Amino acid sequence: MTKFFLNDKEVTAEENETIWQVAKKNGLTIPHLCYSDKPGYRADGNCRACMVSIEGERVLAASCIRKPSEGMKVSTTDERSEKSRKMILELLVTDQPEKTDCHDPDSHFWKIADDLEVKKSRFDKRESKIVPESDNSHVAMAVNLDACINCNLCVRACREVQVNDVIGMGNRGHVSQVIFDFDDPMGDSSCVSCGECVQACPTGALMESNLLNENGKKVVNADRKVDSLCPYCGVGCQLTYNIKDEKIVSVDGREGPANHNRLCVKGRFGFDYVHNPERITKPLIRKKGIKKDPKEKLDPLNPLSHFREATWEEALDLAASKLSSIRDAKGGDDALAGFGCAKGSNEEAYLFQKLIRVGFRNNNVDHCTRMCHASSVAALMEAIGTGAVTAPVSEVKNAEVAILIGCRPTQNHPVAATFIKNAVKKKWT
Amino acid sequence: MLDKVKKNFYPKGRGIEDSALEDIKKLISKLPLKRDLLIEYLHLIQDKYGQIRKKHLAALSKLLKIPLAESFEVATFYAHFDVIEDEDPSIQEVTIRVCDSLTCELFGSENLIKELKGSLDDQKVRVLRAPCMGLCDKAPACEVGHKHVNFSNLEKIQEVISKKHFHPEIIEGISLKKYVDSGGYEILKKCYTNEISVDSVINELNESGLKGMGGAGFPSGQKWKFVRMEPGPRLMTINGDEGEPGTFKDKLYLEQNMHKFFEGMLIAAWAVEAKEIYIYMRDEYPGIRLKMIDELKKLRETSIIGSNTKIYIRRGAGAYICGEESAMIESIEGKRGLPRHKPPFVSKVGLFGKPTLNHNIETVFWVPDILKNGHKWYSSQGKSGHKGPHSYSVSGRVNKPGVKLAPAGITMNELLNDYCGGMIDGHKFLGYLPGGASGGILPASMADIPLDFGTLEKHGCFIGSGAIVVFSDQDDVKKVALNLLKFFNDESCGQCTPCRVGTEKAVKLMEKGNWNEDLLKELVQTMGDASICGLGQAAGNPITCTLNFFKDHI
Repeated sequence: MTKFFLNDKEVTAEENETIWQVAKKNGLTIPHLCYSDKPGYRADGNCRACMVSIEGERVLAASCIRKPSEGMKVSTTDERSEKSRKMILELLVTDQPEKTDCHDPDSHFWKIADDLEVKKSRFDKRESKIVPESDNSHVAMAVNLDACINCNLCVRACREVQVNDVIGMGNRGHVSQVIFDFDDPMGDSSCVSCGECVQACPTGALMESNLLNENGKKVVNADRKVDSLCPYCGVGCQLTYNIKDEKIVSVDGREGPANHNRLCVKGRFGFDYVHNPERITKPLIRKKGIKKDPKEKLDPLNPLSHFREATWEEALDLAASKLSSIRDAKGGDDALAGFGCAKGSNEEAYLFQKLIRVGFRNNNVDHCTRMCHASSVAALMEAIGTGAVTAPVSEVKNAEVAILIGCRPTQNHPVAATFIKNAVKKKWT
Repeated sequence: MLDKVKKNFYPKGRGIEDSALEDIKKLISKLPLKRDLLIEYLHLIQDKYGQIRKKHLAALSKLLKIPLAESFEVATFYAHFDVIEDEDPSIQEVTIRVCDSLTCELFGSENLIKELKGSLDDQKVRVLRAPCMGLCDKAPACEVGHKHVNFSNLEKIQEVISKKHFHPEIIEGISLKKYVDSGGYEILKKCYTNEISVDSVINELNESGLKGMGGAGFPSGQKWKFVRMEPGPRLMTINGDEGEPGTFKDKLYLEQNMHKFFEGMLIAAWAVEAKEIYIYMRDEYPGIRLKMIDELKKLRETSIIGSNTKIYIRRGAGAYICGEESAMIESIEGKRGLPRHKPPFVSKVGLFGKPTLNHNIETVFWVPDILKNGHKWYSSQGKSGHKGPHSYSVSGRVNKPGVKLAPAGITMNELLNDYCGGMIDGHKFLGYLPGGASGGILPASMADIPLDFGTLEKHGCFIGSGAIVVFSDQDDVKKVALNLLKFFNDESCGQCTPCRVGTEKAVKLMEKGNWNEDLLKELVQTMGDASICGLGQAAGNPITCTLNFFKDHI
């Protein structure tokens, strides 16, 4: 615990807390661009938008990275640090596309610029020949580095948070810029499309391309958000669907114990199936007189050629009566069995086995994980006495050795894999 | 089914060519495979092929198990690496780097560049601008291949090209034998055999007033004491990245007496119990680096240094910022030279995260003499209350430029008249840079201030590495300041906004005939207050000084 003074008020910092974090705890959000207070993001202190003055020190300090010491007198309201923060924003605004014509006027960058009342710049723009061109080579992400402020949040997102190791900062000085691999187009690079960089970018230089028009300007603005859970693998990533006109337009990772805001390509970009017109959204019952014929091709866009819409009550009653008749007609309690799916939730798995045991009147219930997990369950039983997971994946960080057998977490459970990769990177460097 | 899956599966991104992998394996086979040697490997590739093709960079990344982006970042950060596409034509056979830093500009480098570009075959020769190469007393200077050309002109350069004399000149100084015969390494032996104690050595240094001659002026004895307070293992680094425009003293001392430098370095390493010493030599001094490798080999063959002291020479790659100690440490670790945030200081967390004693070459160069002759020998060489001799690298419009070993505390007027033979005929003393590009600019009317650490700060200037550039009534002070800001703009690492964007915007403002004084002042204030390291913090000094001291010239 360190006691120090923030704008003449005594405040307390826990160990390893920075001035910025203590200020926030005390209700003061110091302007910040390159600093993200999301889990997994190291402070880098490069944008200098969060400068504060410390009594007795020759120069200002970046509050996002500076830790207070006992009795230190920190000011955020003095003229010197205020002017400095404004000047930093003015410098950055200079080389941005005009706010009225920019990629994302709602970006964090413009919010901070507005907070500091920096509307325009008194400086000349950099030469147009050194302004990077748009890169639309990726199917889901647009790269518009004319809006980039070199805060390197995307570099940290890619290299340190998700450990996909694609993004870097090439060249030096005022011509330094974000690069993918060897300054390759994003779409040709080794990018695995996790979209962490898009989520981290404070300026709109990296955005979901489906939100943009052909000139790279954001035209799709969500009108509501729905918190949900990723429907793909079993990692359990929390996410938020951004919705416009009742359609999902983009996805953000949300803080949760399994993912800490991270998503993979599936959770981030794999949502178009929801609005696929082939998707069945109402119960259908086969029309009377239309027989099943395996050779006949059904047009999935037009199932009503063979089916009619029904209410849930009618459809469920029909299914129940048919299942009961099978059970009763063909050998009684042993006639039916159930095979569950790993994509179901715990609650759904419970209801499913209830159906089998009570409805089908037998214990012929199994689950698709039998295929892959039977061996590991047996091994776990033998080794540690219980055939179940005993620790979250992220606990790899506290392990000296982690053995992976018969799995490819980077492909099958990419977000869980990021925590393994974090641990590997930490131990290796 | 599996076959089908495999056929459709290909890894994303660039593949690695087997032949490129073999090329690189062979090329780097003499060095151990270590991440921190990345820049050394890049030099091997650049030296062999004249450029770094992406296929080779990809192969190197694969061998080192580092991301492509990581090797690309490093390779494109340094000016001496040329990363090109696999299908690009090769870079010209001959590279001429013409110094365009201040003194060389005063002596016509701009015309020289134009002349070279106009006269030489651009299919075979490329002409690049380069920052100071420590030949300010022989301006304008350039480097053809690795051959330095003093007082350059088109004829001299054409001769070098036609003779294909591209290797560096090696200047013979005092040999190991001669140094030993004249009592060299005796002090080191006394240290190793405990004839003198660490405490007494530190005490001598403190009494002598020896300070860090790289520019910071931190008391050396104190520094050793602080490093010793940190838990071991400790490391030592030598900053041989003498890049401050106008500075060429380290170069001179290494040329004259390299073993005196080695002895001082080894005494310092002994004092802080550092078993590993990393010498970071700038790539602009290729001859010195080759000689250093050679002399170090000779030294190792003697019994003077124990086998458990390891000395590594690391080669810079063209980046002024690596003269900043934490950036240098990053570079030794094989990374981009981005200065670190302070605190922690390198004495606590330095190279590879270990407590590190870092010294400039000249600083340790004086250590054997101080211990041999006593602290008074050193401290008494100053004047007007200042301690020690001071090496001033003087260049510009003076009759006799060069490194002047003069009493600390000497004034510019005294230095000019007593050491440099006054101004060149026809030139009237207008002003001077007391400390290279970053130390500010002072007018002739302020040439009676003692030149030493701590004397110039109240005028917004500092002595730094003692790089004094004198200019005259025939020079335009605004152009002088613009040259300096262009230098900072080129050499900014780009990490922080005030320096990366600030230097670029300052150049733009200064290129206009009329300076927007208020805006420049505001900008300089923020650059000074908010930049991460000394480069950005001091980059505005030329502007402030011009506005303050040369009002009639704006």
